[in-house]
Amino acid sequence: MNRRLRISGVLVTIGLLVEGLCLMWSRPIAFVVLVVFGGMLIGIGVLFFLLSLASAAPDSAHASGLAPDKRQ
Amino acid sequence: MPTIATVVLVLFSAILACLIVVRPEITVTRAGKILAFGVLFFLPVFSLAVGVQNEMTRSESTTFCLSCHIMESYGRSLHIDDPSYLAAAHFQNHRVPADEACYTCHSDYAMFGTIKAKLGGLRHLYVYYLGTPPLPQDIKLYKPFNNQVCLHCHLGARSFEEGVVHNADPATLPAIKANKLSCISSGCHEMVHNVGHWGDVKFWYQKN
Repeated sequence: MNRRLRISGVLVTIGLLVEGLCLMWSRPIAFVVLVVFGGMLIGIGVLFFLLSLASAAPDSAHASGLAPDKRQ
Repeated sequence: MPTIATVVLVLFSAILACLIVVRPEITVTRAGKILAFGVLFFLPVFSLAVGVQNEMTRSESTTFCLSCHIMESYGRSLHIDDPSYLAAAHFQNHRVPADEACYTCHSDYAMFGTIKAKLGGLRHLYVYYLGTPPLPQDIKLYKPFNNQVCLHCHLGARSFEEGVVHNADPATLPAIKANKLSCISSGCHEMVHNVGHWGDVKFWYQKN
């Protein structure tokens, strides 16, 4: 789970940095870079995070035999 | 320029996402899980939406349109010191917002006018960076200028409705309103930008 969170975090961080740079870059191409590269990285990062949540929760619950909110 | 708040939001989100990368173990607790959800889902999506909105707004500005080298002559045409130049007269007298001058006249006021203008802008970007851009004087409108853009402001105005030339022939006004007689290409208001055909014109620059 930690590894997945890390990957998701890296993608989101890079995507946000691309977005930050594009916001300060006053050229028409900045909009395309923001949407295509920044948006894609953030989107993949968020999807990866959601997928890791969806795939991790049932496995962990199975392994511990506890409901998800009692596993801590 | 984007608002400082937008840049701060994006950087703040990036720093928090970095925190998850460096110390993913903080997500073990319930509070950590909530933080992870906020940092890896809510904040990035929100930041992206705000950033895109910011860029969309910026793409309507005159400085944005004129930031392409090929548009420089069109920007200069707004400063021609001659009221017969339609674009210059509108820009200099603030008949259109000076900071959104291009967008005001070159986007439809219809429901999808903004979307069409943005898609057209993407096409311009493609030609500018990957195609062969035409010379400034060779740039043409995709289709005849729509009178509705002019009428958005001028319809009902006394100068338009009671104008001598507009009423010289009773058929003129209805034809203009029906978009059958173009405002700019019927020998009436045809001096718009006229890039490449200026001759010996003077330029006006606003005093600060």
